[in-house]
Amino acid sequence: MKKLIFALTGLTAFIVVHALAEEEEAPLAPLEAGSVSQEDGLANWAKIHEVFSHPRCANCHVDDSGIPMWSGPSYGKTRPHGMFISGGETRIGIEFVQCGTCHGRENSPTPHGPPGNEVWLLAPAEMQWFDKSSQEICEQIKDPERNGGRTILEVAEHVSHDPLVHWGWDPGPGREAAPYSAAETTDSILKWQAAGAPCPSAE
Amino acid sequence: MNETGNHMQLKVNGKEHEVEVEEDMPLLWVLRDELGITGPKYGCGITACGACTVHIDGMAIRSCSMPVGDVFGEVTTIEGLGTPDALHAVQAAWIEHQVAQCGYCQSGQIMAAAAFLEVNPDPDDEAIDRALSANLCRCGTYVRVREAVKTAAAKLRGV
Ligand code: FES
Ligand code: FES
Repeated sequence: MKKLIFALTGLTAFIVVHALAEEEEAPLAPLEAGSVSQEDGLANWAKIHEVFSHPRCANCHVDDSGIPMWSGPSYGKTRPHGMFISGGETRIGIEFVQCGTCHGRENSPTPHGPPGNEVWLLAPAEMQWFDKSSQEICEQIKDPERNGGRTILEVAEHVSHDPLVHWGWDPGPGREAAPYSAAETTDSILKWQAAGAPCPSAE
Repeated sequence: MNETGNHMQLKVNGKEHEVEVEEDMPLLWVLRDELGITGPKYGCGITACGACTVHIDGMAIRSCSMPVGDVFGEVTTIEGLGTPDALHAVQAAWIEHQVAQCGYCQSGQIMAAAAFLEVNPDPDDEAIDRALSANLCRCGTYVRVREAVKTAAAKLRGV
């Protein structure tokens, strides 16, 4: 248990540094409320949803089973991560095999080698949106209980600054990147917010 | 000495080593080819088999894919886990259950199991499978691996 505490302490230290690094970035300014129409707001949500529901994003926004998903041209249907992997409650696999055992600081240059980033972890279970509809994810993104405790502006800042989110646009060889870019997605979130954060009706 | 390389210090199995290698050389290459530590094995080179597993500050790492420049602490290989006179509990359990067949994957299995038991001292079958399913064994020793992990866990807990 000593090592678990050590590992968690290390992770906590990293997350604090990571959070401070996010804070150091220039804060985003919200657009004037009402300056974007409902229609444009919904169009911007559609773009945000394309990003958030893309496998590079959604495959790690999984439920409390902690089982990440795999998908891509060579996988056929989206499927659970191979090797019986679970990130567990810690979301970094400490209780089984740590994500960092295989996922290093950079993407493997070899096709089917593990992707990597300076930090590799699952989103918290309450932020699960894998397999949810556009309307459900839209409502979730507005709910601090299920979006990591963020305002919409903070969600935009998270997309704008977080290195693991940015990995979605630089996922290494053999993986399709998320659509648009971090900057375009941030811009869409600000416009969606200015339109009053409208959500599509249930499908 | 490698003229274009970088001078690096590496602590392995309690001993300081100086190596002159490129920072992006995989740790496994440094261990095997530079230091002659051949317990960790090369299987796949892309973290898909576990044969190269070592510890860095107690955490299991696939040494085939970790650039030596990213090594963040002391490295332990199977050679440093225990000694013939004082086996690590996992090694002793492996012998008790005669886990090894050809043996090629076994140092990786043992290192993975030892790191796992440090954080999960009383695992059930599912936890053992989750922890060790990424360590492949072409000889199919999985059933004995699971039993040996349980024996080692009990030994480490003092029961
Ligand atoms: S050789 Fe490193 S995981 Fe296969
Ligand atoms: S004992 Fe032969 S590969 Fe595992």
